[in-house]
Amino acid sequence: MADETKQKKSISEEITRKDFLKTAGVVGGGVAVSVAAVTAARLSPPPETPTGADTIRDIPEFKSVQVSEESDVLIRMQAELKKALAKPVEERKWKMVIDTRKCVGCHACTVACIAENKLPPGVVYRPVVEEQMGEYPNTQLRYFPRPCMQCENPSCVSVCPVNATWKRPDGITQIDYDKCIGCRYCLTACPYGARTSDFGEYYTEDTPELQPYETLPNNEYGKSWNREGHNSPMGNARKCHFCLHRLNEGELPMCVTTCIGRANYFGDANDPDSLVTEMARQPNQVKLLEEKGTKPTVIYLL
Amino acid sequence: MLTKTYKYVSRIWLIVFIIGLAGLILKFATGEKLAGYGSYVPWGLWVALYFHFVGISGGVFAIGTLGYVFDLTGFRENFRVILVVSVAAVITGLFSIWLDLGQPFRFARILYAPNFGSMMAFNAWMYSLFIGCAAGLFWLSLKKEKQTDLHDKSRWMLPLMGLAFMFSIAFPSQSGAFFGVVDAKPFWSSPLLPILFLVSAITSGGAVLLLVYTFLHYKEFDLSQQPFKMLRYVIIGGILFYFLAEFAEYSLVFWSPNSHIREAVELILFGPFWWVFWFVHLGGGLIALYVLWKGKTYQTVGTGAFIVAVTFVSARLNVLVPGQAVAELKGLQDAFYHERLRFDYSATLNEYLVALFIGAFGVALVYFGIKLLSYFTQKKLGTSL
Repeated sequence: MADETKQKKSISEEITRKDFLKTAGVVGGGVAVSVAAVTAARLSPPPETPTGADTIRDIPEFKSVQVSEESDVLIRMQAELKKALAKPVEERKWKMVIDTRKCVGCHACTVACIAENKLPPGVVYRPVVEEQMGEYPNTQLRYFPRPCMQCENPSCVSVCPVNATWKRPDGITQIDYDKCIGCRYCLTACPYGARTSDFGEYYTEDTPELQPYETLPNNEYGKSWNREGHNSPMGNARKCHFCLHRLNEGELPMCVTTCIGRANYFGDANDPDSLVTEMARQPNQVKLLEEKGTKPTVIYLL
Repeated sequence: MLTKTYKYVSRIWLIVFIIGLAGLILKFATGEKLAGYGSYVPWGLWVALYFHFVGISGGVFAIGTLGYVFDLTGFRENFRVILVVSVAAVITGLFSIWLDLGQPFRFARILYAPNFGSMMAFNAWMYSLFIGCAAGLFWLSLKKEKQTDLHDKSRWMLPLMGLAFMFSIAFPSQSGAFFGVVDAKPFWSSPLLPILFLVSAITSGGAVLLLVYTFLHYKEFDLSQQPFKMLRYVIIGGILFYFLAEFAEYSLVFWSPNSHIREAVELILFGPFWWVFWFVHLGGGLIALYVLWKGKTYQTVGTGAFIVAVTFVSARLNVLVPGQAVAELKGLQDAFYHERLRFDYSATLNEYLVALFIGAFGVALVYFGIKLLSYFTQKKLGTSL
């Protein structure tokens, strides 16, 4: 009887080989499933963006303006945009070159962007950073507007827990406001501070009346977004998208159109004859924070 | 004597709960308008609390499992209490991060449409699986002949415990990796972070477990014996290791003439919130060390554990905020002025009030969880939890 009790006790206390193997199997299985899940996520393609012939846009020809060597760069870029849109989306590669020698720091691009995208307080897509070189009285100012860099290796995409942001075939990093949960992980991951969160503010909220222009929907990513009632993009991460909704209609990004110094060059980097490709070949170019390994597509000319 | 302490603590809890509830109602009424974080420092106090609570959860379970497997007095008898505390802590952490979301009612997307390449989604799944494992362990524990047995009748308790133990070690470490993978922030991009987060999880988890034992099981165990002995050593060891690792990191920064994280470390030590490091973190840690080492009454030891459980939030804050408060692109703050576009952060009154509520909520979950499940086990097994 005593032996039986002793044996029973040892069975309930002992870790047998079977127990050990079962535990190792469960833990090992857990590790294997985790590794498989991460690998599958890393290898899976981004959310589907329409490609192919359906994405070709037929933009009407200029009727009243002649495009020539002497034309304003905006006219030339507009014409090149039409050419790029005649190709399917996967054959375009949008690129921006900013000539800092031409930027006068007027902030018109910042304001135009705010107006175009109906940006609320605290949300900015294209601030103009001022850099002062030298010491007084031998100083020099340089301005560099900072749109989203539309990085080739964007650090903001991989951190998104819900696949709400991805790289499009034309190089633009897109956000799906309907999917974004507002965790702001992408904000911390962007070294350029190019993403800002919409905290639900209005410029005129502390005035007698909320002005109607603040409640108008915006058209980002070609969809109408109305923030009223805490709807997206309120609570979401937001950023510059090279005015994708304008591009699809054959219009240049708002900041490019507005620039009084013609400091912005924009177009299809896959077109070797385009102005933007020409400017991107200049030797006096830099990219911001290249050491971060994000491979920004926006180029600055010094 | 302890009954009196218990009464005082209950009153303090009620006051904290009511004040915190007012803050929470205000938060729901105003959205994120009263919060101090912005777009350049997008994570603040609530995110720090989230990491703190999930760390506590992992720490409590990891220590509890080791105590259980190696049959230290007080662990097998109270394993269900350990499960309740651990799950309560992770739920509190998740509640805290839920409040921080810009679109909180979309939180489930992280479970049904996850990107496992993101450490956040990976962690979210791990918490969910951990809660599932804890529920399974609770159920299996009801099938044991005696509370002090190692196995349940099906002998699945140990394998499941092994899996949950892996999660409990993994998610605090992954919390460190969560920051470590953000190359944009040089201060975060350090392989030391997962280790620091794990150590602080074990330390604060041990402190919470010690607090639970001093409060709820003081009649059963002697203060100089197990489980108190082991928990005290674990916490003391954890604090010392954490300080040592911090010393190693910070001293290297000052030794090097051009450290790329010098600005962040200077912010921690001499910035506007210098007192968080010197008084709350270091001061609190040193007082706790003394009290835990020398304490001879349940009250003093409990106080030491409480100090660790609370002040170790500063360890999270001192990683979280300075990492974000250093701009990679100089001049960005001046390029476009707005309160939400600043590289400094101080928690607002509303954030503090909601933090109080989160703490009170966690305590309530533990207390009522134990009460409720005791009622259940009383009915089923004839014993309390």
